[in-house]
Amino acid sequence: MLCTHHLTVEFAQKKRLDDINLQLEPHDYLCIIGPNGAGKSTLLKTLMGIVSPSSGNIIIADSPLEQLSQRQLARHLSYVAQSHNQHLNFTVAEFIKMGRYPHHGVFSSWETADQTAFDNAVALTQTEAFLSRQIPTLSGGECQRVMIAAALCQQTPFLLLDEPTSFLDPRHQVKVHQLIQNLNQQHQVGIIEVTHDINHAVQHSQQILALKSGKAIWTGQATDFLASPHLSEELYDQHFVLTKHPETGQQIALPSEQGYSR
Amino acid sequence: MKPVYIFSTIALTSLVILLTAPYLGLSTTLDSELASHILMQIRIPRALLAFIVGAGLAVCGLVFQAMFHNPLATPFTLGVASGASLGAALAVFFGLSFSFFGIDSASLLAFIGALTTISFVYGLSRFGNGFSPEVLLLTGVAVSFFFTSLILLTQYLSDIADSFKILRWLMGSLSIVGYDDIWRLLPIVTLVIGLVCFFRRELNLLTAGDEIALSRGVAVKKVRYLLFFSTSICIGAIVALCGPIGFVGMMVPHICRLLIGQDHRWLIPASCLFGGGFLILCDAVARSAIAPAEIPVGVITTLLGGPFFLWLLIRSRTHNS
Repeated sequence: MLCTHHLTVEFAQKKRLDDINLQLEPHDYLCIIGPNGAGKSTLLKTLMGIVSPSSGNIIIADSPLEQLSQRQLARHLSYVAQSHNQHLNFTVAEFIKMGRYPHHGVFSSWETADQTAFDNAVALTQTEAFLSRQIPTLSGGECQRVMIAAALCQQTPFLLLDEPTSFLDPRHQVKVHQLIQNLNQQHQVGIIEVTHDINHAVQHSQQILALKSGKAIWTGQATDFLASPHLSEELYDQHFVLTKHPETGQQIALPSEQGYSR
Repeated sequence: MKPVYIFSTIALTSLVILLTAPYLGLSTTLDSELASHILMQIRIPRALLAFIVGAGLAVCGLVFQAMFHNPLATPFTLGVASGASLGAALAVFFGLSFSFFGIDSASLLAFIGALTTISFVYGLSRFGNGFSPEVLLLTGVAVSFFFTSLILLTQYLSDIADSFKILRWLMGSLSIVGYDDIWRLLPIVTLVIGLVCFFRRELNLLTAGDEIALSRGVAVKKVRYLLFFSTSICIGAIVALCGPIGFVGMMVPHICRLLIGQDHRWLIPASCLFGGGFLILCDAVARSAIAPAEIPVGVITTLLGGPFFLWLLIRSRTHNS
């Protein structure tokens, strides 16, 4: 279980996150949405121990975050960052294998459990074809799958993803969405995903957390999000038109051509 | 090519260099007793010292480049060498000539200078945003320039003889007699290289960036503190004994990376052996090029290494594109 209580993050005299309360089980799928600078990425980074909270608690599997070593934390959470260092001079296989780090001591060697985790991660993300290639030679979609594979290799109950499909073409977006969906439903991996795509969040996730200026302005079942018509407008300062997806009949929101005025 | 073949080649070459260098230019006309004395008391210790120093400089340089994700980061860029040099220059300037457990005053002051600089640079970089690599590098460069000016001032105020002594120290030298200095340096260098080997996985992840390292479970700050201080002490000890021998620490890890790839499991031992072999070679050239006079070894490392490094860089660029 992953909880936050009154989580607040402050840097450079500004509150980036203000009183965030979360509670997630390993089979949950939470999407965090909100405008640029709302603190979405900061929330993921705080959970991952990259940014330190100024007040409030994070509880992971009954232990407060500050009592966990970074290595222990990395056995509970894995994280795929928004942008990747394309100059990683590793082969894909080497890089994915590095995901086993939190399960290794100084003297331990590569064992069957490691190989199984590696094989599973590779199979799920369909990265077999380019295991021996260097990371800088990969396309955006391939690179993103490798990053997810490396995180999966950690075999954590929760996976944090920061805009995993932002730089991908529609085909690869769908592929990555399906992969995440599959991880959540077939493999009971808890997902916390930051996204700009309201419709994706509504269609695929179970819960939504809407952040604006560091504050949680709405949280609840994903399907209820579009039921409150002014919510997305309040969140993004932008008019939306609601319509039905011609194929699935699900409600979707499209940004309106009219701007927004309060 | 597989890393294991490349590594074996490097290891073999270094071994051959280590074994043959002491005999290089050893006159056959000398009577055997004198020749064996030169060999045992001068040539062999000198080759061993060169090997230890080269290995230490290369591995510490490798660690700095990985930790700070910066190809130009070396303990030298961070002001450790200039701190040590200032210490040695002051010892010469004030005519200090004491010894402490057999370590002479210039070496001792150089070591103190190195440690003071590390603490100072580290302390300064703590202001603001903590232990950020950029702040640390810039602080190091600024401190380095400041100390270089102080060294120049010290030199200017000294008389000709002292000034030359300081200059000669600044050029670096591996000339020792007997094994005492080796026994003093060996434990520190071995310990630090051993420690670095423990952190091979962390170093791999650190080259991938702090965020990736943290999300894989590396306690980035702790690892960086520990490696920063231990490698700095190692460099301090080396510079105190031999003066600032430039370029080995920056260049050897790069060459090894171009040859063997990014994986520190291979990169650490490869840099260690390559650095050791390379410095012996440089020293052999330094003492035989214009024999019986000797060129400062620091000059040779840069003269030999610079063009080779450039050639390798251009070659790898054209290969990739």
